[in-house]
Amino acid sequence: MKASGVIWIRCRHAHKLLSTRMDKPLATTDRIRLWMHLSICEFCSHVNRQMNFMRAAVRRIAK
Amino acid sequence: MDTLAIQHTLGELRPALVRIARLQLRNDTWAEDVVSESLLAALESAGSFAQKSQVKTWVIGILKHKIIDQFRRAGREVSTDAQAELDDTDDLDDLYDAQGHKASAPADWGDPHASLERTEFFDILQTCVDRLPAGLGRIFMMREWLEYETDQICKELSISTTNCFVMLHRARMRLRECLEMNWFAAEKSR
Repeated sequence: MKASGVIWIRCRHAHKLLSTRMDKPLATTDRIRLWMHLSICEFCSHVNRQMNFMRAAVRRIAK
Repeated sequence: MDTLAIQHTLGELRPALVRIARLQLRNDTWAEDVVSESLLAALESAGSFAQKSQVKTWVIGILKHKIIDQFRRAGREVSTDAQAELDDTDDLDDLYDAQGHKASAPADWGDPHASLERTEFFDILQTCVDRLPAGLGRIFMMREWLEYETDQICKELSISTTNCFVMLHRARMRLRECLEMNWFAAEKSR
């Protein structure tokens, strides 16, 4: 199954998008895919919050 | 603050600065050098500080600049490490099953921000960053601690944007695993 055109993504793909989103805005289709995945996946929602937390934590090293 | 007080404050700061410089540079000699240069610079402007906290903020600001200078001086050596990291086949395969699910389900970290008040947490965090392969650790710290934009990082390390994203993703997932295992899971059982 090719990734393009598929709206339901797997956790592995969602994690990649969650990371990419920390560095640049996602394309619209990816944003929708991620949003749909997060709405049904509790685990990836944890990872989502953890990504933001890790950023906040690293910025406070040595502060 | 007088010179003696500044000297004392800088002496106290030194170990923390060396640790963060090592995490970022992944080279002990470079780390010692940039920290010494930063401390000297602070000593020279001793008269302009009123409080301890100002000294710290100022030294860290200088240190960040010195680290970037060091990356530029080291140039090729640093980008070779980044390239080696990309040639490595780590695609996080061990973290997922064939269906693309996490092999171990990501835990709920509760209110992780409470951890930011604990010095032990920062010790674990730095240990986890230190455990990342050198190429990944550097790029991750450039992005998150030096707060570089990704296109700046790619330019400094002479790697493509796509590769930049791949490396940052690997670094974040590896760090996530390490923190979960060594802090958040351990915290639950405390």
